[in-house]
Amino acid sequence: MKQILLIAWREYKQYIFSRGFLLFLTMFPLGLVFVGAAVGLLENNKPIRYFVVYDETGAYTDEIDQELDRRYMQSAIAAWDAYILVASGGAEVDIPAPFAPDDVNDARIVAFETAGGFEKAQSLAKANINSGLPSFVPPKRSFYRLPTPGDIQALGSLLEIEEAFRPYLLEQRLIGVPSGGGKPLFAAVLIPSGFGAGEDAAQAQYWSRNLTDQSLEMIIRSALNRALRRSVIADYGLPGEALDAVAAVDAPIASFRPDKAPEEAELGMKDRIETALPAGLTYMLLVIIFGVGNLLLTNTIEERSNKIVEILLSSVTANQLMMGKLLGIAAVGLTMPALFLSGGLALTLADAGSENVMAVAVTTLFSTNLIFVYLFYFFCAYLIFSMIFLAIGAVSNSLQDAQSYMGPVMLLVFAPLPFMVMVFQNPNGLVASILTWIPIYTPYAVMMRAASDPPLWEIVGATALMLAFTLFLMRIMGRIFRQAILQASPPKIRDVWRLTRKEKA
Amino acid sequence: MTENPVSQNPVSLQNITKRYGGFTAVDDLSFEVAQGEIYGFLGPNGAGKTTTLRMMLDIIQPSAGSLSILGSSSAISVRRRIGYLPEERGLYRKMKAADSIAYFAQLRGLSRKAAKAKAMALLEQFDLEEFARSKNEALSKGMAQKVQLLATIAHEPELLILDEPFSGLDPINQQTLEALIREQRRGGRTIIFSTHVMQHAERLCDRFLILAQGQKRFEGTLAEARAGMAGRLHVRTNASREALIALGGIAHIREEEAPSAGAEMTYEIELEEGADPQVFLAKAVAARIVISRFEQAGATLHDIFVSLAGDGGEAVSDSKRAPHEAAA
Repeated sequence: MKQILLIAWREYKQYIFSRGFLLFLTMFPLGLVFVGAAVGLLENNKPIRYFVVYDETGAYTDEIDQELDRRYMQSAIAAWDAYILVASGGAEVDIPAPFAPDDVNDARIVAFETAGGFEKAQSLAKANINSGLPSFVPPKRSFYRLPTPGDIQALGSLLEIEEAFRPYLLEQRLIGVPSGGGKPLFAAVLIPSGFGAGEDAAQAQYWSRNLTDQSLEMIIRSALNRALRRSVIADYGLPGEALDAVAAVDAPIASFRPDKAPEEAELGMKDRIETALPAGLTYMLLVIIFGVGNLLLTNTIEERSNKIVEILLSSVTANQLMMGKLLGIAAVGLTMPALFLSGGLALTLADAGSENVMAVAVTTLFSTNLIFVYLFYFFCAYLIFSMIFLAIGAVSNSLQDAQSYMGPVMLLVFAPLPFMVMVFQNPNGLVASILTWIPIYTPYAVMMRAASDPPLWEIVGATALMLAFTLFLMRIMGRIFRQAILQASPPKIRDVWRLTRKEKA
Repeated sequence: MTENPVSQNPVSLQNITKRYGGFTAVDDLSFEVAQGEIYGFLGPNGAGKTTTLRMMLDIIQPSAGSLSILGSSSAISVRRRIGYLPEERGLYRKMKAADSIAYFAQLRGLSRKAAKAKAMALLEQFDLEEFARSKNEALSKGMAQKVQLLATIAHEPELLILDEPFSGLDPINQQTLEALIREQRRGGRTIIFSTHVMQHAERLCDRFLILAQGQKRFEGTLAEARAGMAGRLHVRTNASREALIALGGIAHIREEEAPSAGAEMTYEIELEEGADPQVFLAKAVAARIVISRFEQAGATLHDIFVSLAGDGGEAVSDSKRAPHEAAA
């Protein structure tokens, strides 16, 4: 046992105390901060895009401006909600509606502005959360409408106007902006006099050289739709506000789960996390298996090609070597999630009773048996795939040799990925059952289903089958490892199956 | 595999055979190595040397026969008392030299503290202390081989098995290794080593075994091997080649030097098996042949090796080697 642990410790040390891993550990939180800062910086420094509306009818420009304002307020209030969530750590805060984080709809936008806007919201946040909070800075506007240049305004036909806009849109000419100087014109909207809702009505034109960013086009389309729908409503003799009233309707609906007592039955964040956590852990398992499998493969190939293996085999048995490697690399695989989990646990303990996302996730993991289920199936999945990787390493002198085996194995590892969404959505459905009974996918499937009370007999039966398969695979792959590891030249693919037979003296 | 009655000797192999499918890598091999002996294991490529050493270490199992290593029928139970340096050897590239020695010593039973102390002591003894903290990938080939050798002896084994320990070493390092092997023997250790370099075997071995095509061709001392070989003479004379052949008993004759001004010539003469050099000299005197030099020379180990293992031994090509053999 001492030798197994020694080998395991060397394997573990090789990766965990490597500069690369330590650098990654340091860089990861810094990287997160950097990405967050970069996204914020990019958002704040996004250039304002200028556009003009040439409206022959004179009826739609205001509608477009209102839609622009509405969209801007939508994104500004969403940013406010995020600001409050970050400031409160996700916990519920004592701020009255419409300033408390909630869905952003037209009614809330109106209520927000009526109740005093961001100034009032900020003072409430400082009073109720933390007086030292940094001030909320609303995001910049993305689009700004400029008046049509006078020389174009003076032109008579729409065709002439189109031609007159071309040099602006192609950045051959700049358009004057209120702050002074000239800027490129992002888009021009031409609304002819015959524009309307009828089948024979003339169509509006959206001109822009940028064909990828369609957000302004969507805003214009939405504004024009709104205006046309309002006129249709008026044709029916209803007031224009009826459209806003209809649009503001939001059906009040709450979700409940039947497996809980009535007072706890309403779905909250905790329930959502409880349901999503196994799926998250399953994907993590998949990533870890792939990562540590590769470590095991490259490591075995190194020992084989560097001729270290014979020295090792004069000190330990092939089985001890194999077990040591499996144990060491498994520990490497568990280190990263363990570090994140410890971080989460520390945060939770430091902020006891908090209801932030991390705290709820950690509490869920430790308050149920999920952590043990996860660890058990992690080891099973790890054993299944690592034995395959180990055997591939033993029959390969280089990564190039290993490539011919890796293709099918990778296919095998990632094959259940497309079905995982189906298992997540219907954890006790047919696909979930089928995957559960395929031994190499049992760990993934059971993990995904863990929180949805799958039939016990199915889990016990499939787990027993998986354990039997794992033992069988360990025997077969162990034989390949033991017989191939000392061969001078790697066996051909067609000869590998011979190595699966019982070793003869 | 049949049971081997426990031998008093540290190494005893009885009728060991190793087959890979239809290929016999080692065929009915028996030998014993006595306590404190340096035992040479000689043979051409593909002779079965590495396979035999691996069987002795229980890395692979024999198809037939029995063996006893340090009183045990399997080296697994006594592997802490054995030091093995394989022919194809390497080190972890990113590991430091001192850590490598200590790691293998720990694997062979030393405590962490003792292994570290021993590693440093050995590196100092072999003037490598300045490389103790160097990564193996930064060491020269010769230095890396020294580190491998130190890793083999760090746990102070009773039995040392060295597979081609001199390969890849420059002449200075070969001398260092010879000295180390002698020092290990003085410490009472039993040493088995395989080699292609006959001079080392000649200088170091108490006894040796010649293996060819998996079979034992000879086992014994150098003197015993020479006794079985035909006598060899160096003769300086003005007589012609034909005159010497006419004396009889010559198996092979060769001019060693060009004729000098006095027309004398030195010949290397290989006598027929069983022929007595003194009888040959008497015949020459009786035939009034003037001889200015008459020197009797024993066969070298190289001669013995070529004579015993050369008949087809070298002809064992890689394609005929067992697929399971790395080198033999």
